[in-house]
Amino acid sequence: MASRKARHEALTGWLFALPFTVVFIIVFVAPIIESVRAAFHKQVAEGGGLFGGGRMVEKFVGLQNFQEVCTNPAFWHGIGRVMLFGVFQIPIMILAALFLALVIDSYLVRHPGFWRLSYFLPYAIPGLVAAIMWTYLYLPEISPFAGHLSFSLLSSHVILGSMANMTTWTFTGYNMLIFLAALQAVPSELYEAARIDGASGWQIMTKIKIPMVRGAALLAVLLSIIGTVQLFNEPTVLATVATWMPRDYTPMMMAYNTMNGNISPSGAGPASAVSIMMALVAGVLAMIYALVQRKAD
Amino acid sequence: MASVAAIVAGTLVLGACGSPSEGSGSPSQSSSQSAAASGPVTIKYLHRLPDGEGMTKVADIVKKWNSEHPDIKVETTKFPGEAKELMPKLEADVKAGTAPCLVQAGYAEVPDMYVKGLVEDVTGEAEKYKDHFSGAYGQMSVGGKVVGLPQDTGPLVYVYNETEFKKLGIEVPKTSDELLAAAKKAAAKGKYILGFEPDETQSMLSAQSAAAGAVWYSAEGDKWKVDANGDKTKVVADFWQQALDDKSALTDPRWSDAYTKDLVSGKLIGNIAAAWETGFVLDPLDKTPYAGQWRVAQLPSFGGSDLTGPDGGSGVAVVKGCKYAAQAMQFNDWFNTQVKDLASQGLVPAAKSQVTTPEKMKKQFGGQDVMAELAKANEKLAPEFGYIPGFAVVGSKMGEKAADAAAGKAKVADIFQTAQDTSVKALKDAGLPVNE
Repeated sequence: MASRKARHEALTGWLFALPFTVVFIIVFVAPIIESVRAAFHKQVAEGGGLFGGGRMVEKFVGLQNFQEVCTNPAFWHGIGRVMLFGVFQIPIMILAALFLALVIDSYLVRHPGFWRLSYFLPYAIPGLVAAIMWTYLYLPEISPFAGHLSFSLLSSHVILGSMANMTTWTFTGYNMLIFLAALQAVPSELYEAARIDGASGWQIMTKIKIPMVRGAALLAVLLSIIGTVQLFNEPTVLATVATWMPRDYTPMMMAYNTMNGNISPSGAGPASAVSIMMALVAGVLAMIYALVQRKAD
Repeated sequence: MASVAAIVAGTLVLGACGSPSEGSGSPSQSSSQSAAASGPVTIKYLHRLPDGEGMTKVADIVKKWNSEHPDIKVETTKFPGEAKELMPKLEADVKAGTAPCLVQAGYAEVPDMYVKGLVEDVTGEAEKYKDHFSGAYGQMSVGGKVVGLPQDTGPLVYVYNETEFKKLGIEVPKTSDELLAAAKKAAAKGKYILGFEPDETQSMLSAQSAAAGAVWYSAEGDKWKVDANGDKTKVVADFWQQALDDKSALTDPRWSDAYTKDLVSGKLIGNIAAAWETGFVLDPLDKTPYAGQWRVAQLPSFGGSDLTGPDGGSGVAVVKGCKYAAQAMQFNDWFNTQVKDLASQGLVPAAKSQVTTPEKMKKQFGGQDVMAELAKANEKLAPEFGYIPGFAVVGSKMGEKAADAAAGKAKVADIFQTAQDTSVKALKDAGLPVNE
């Protein structure tokens, strides 16, 4: 009897998991497989003549697409840009998020719910809308402040900083929530014990709270690294006003424009190769970070 | 920051377009077969006309057709995205078999669409309607195969504020040298009669090169010959280099708010423009002191040539796999000859017909018969200038260099060198033969 019940339960479990599994396979697994397959192929004109035969034929090209990405300086410049971006943007954002979370968690503020929502609000604005809003703020002709600066916020030396500002504005509140959740998971007995032992509020913060959110910090930084490699909305929208910006300014832009036929070689094959290379780079970066983090522990 | 899911979602979008089966159940049918279809058929038509305020909406034009032709029902949709985003969508739709029957295609995109196998050879059907259209008919053909019918043309013209020109004592320039001299004179007074538009580099500079008599792409034997930085093109490069060096041209991107601001503030009082720009270029000036002061003139001659170049313009192509190509072409012909309605959309129709200047345009251009002036420009369109498959790639790179040139970090000649190199690379990458 027991086994029948167990089987019944197992079946129910699978039934509950089924919708997720199906959707997961359709929108997640299948595209990855297709993308990997496409990365080894290329569309070429066949049939001779100036215009080929009026149709493209998919040809297996082995590692050629990958080779083209790897030997393309534009790709590595893009990776370099997003890494430079990450190196100064991520620490600023994470520290700001930690600070805000500690303040909200400190009982120093009234209406913590209000502040939590306010800080989180920028994240609730769709990324593109936010990017367009910032574009207007950066345009010297329209902006309330950009026209008074001695430099252009859209020039090639400054634009990474301008983008970092947009990203920080959007995601600080989001990361703050991660920290806040971690902080609120800390059992209050710990604080009580510390206070009985005579710890000050500052000591509780530095000796208990901050060490307790290490795990959350690891997660936040990891997500940020991956997000940084995917930098797309901000540069794409800014490119509409900063026309000097190459179509392959970031790797994600490169993938998109390769697909759209604005970068040659174009098409699904080369675009997939770019995306897969990006995923690999993001993976390697995340792994390095995790290893360093573990060693530091 | 978005999670790992997003990186895969990105890959998904890209990957999903690369459908595996290329030749699966060849959906294309010859037009003769399709003509035999009985009963009412439905034609889907994807356009990207502006459909703006005060224009005769595409849906309303099509409504007329539908009431007169119960057998051929046309459903029309406006493509909401950017023009360059239409191509990947079309590619995916053709492979999935869900593409519309008719789609708007820029003349510079037609060769690309043909090479990618996105359009149907409808030469036979098109012959029937050939006489209805101007020289733009040829723009819808690739290597002798016609893939649709032309809708509008975009010859370059010169637009200027007559009142301001008189105030400055400037004549309407007839040659590029006169234009340069006048621009210098105006700039000294803080007014500009020229705009170097980095975001429009591809269309503008290629069209100006065409106006100077250059032919960038031609066939040499059965290979492509690319000549994007030859002597005739050099005339254009020198012209702009001088204008930039003298600081007698504004360098704001055409589709920027900065440009509009220059226009509304009266700083920009003249510019080279595509014919279709006359449909809306002066909209921001309504209700300002400058309203009604502008006029349209012919493009000043570049290097002594009496031509103008094609900047944009598009037709309606029959999409690969369209089951009712004959019916689609019948509608295509009808739609593209609704000149009055099309003109209301700000187009310079490619159909051979007297087009009366819409009221709105008349008001904005001080009563000038703008369409008559544009028709004159139309007749001077460089007949041999065509495009290669992958011309979009060329444009992207040219645009980057143009922004550098505007900032003084590159020479205008570099833009054309880039055009040359990128063209050769794009052709090679697509597996097409090119003579280097």
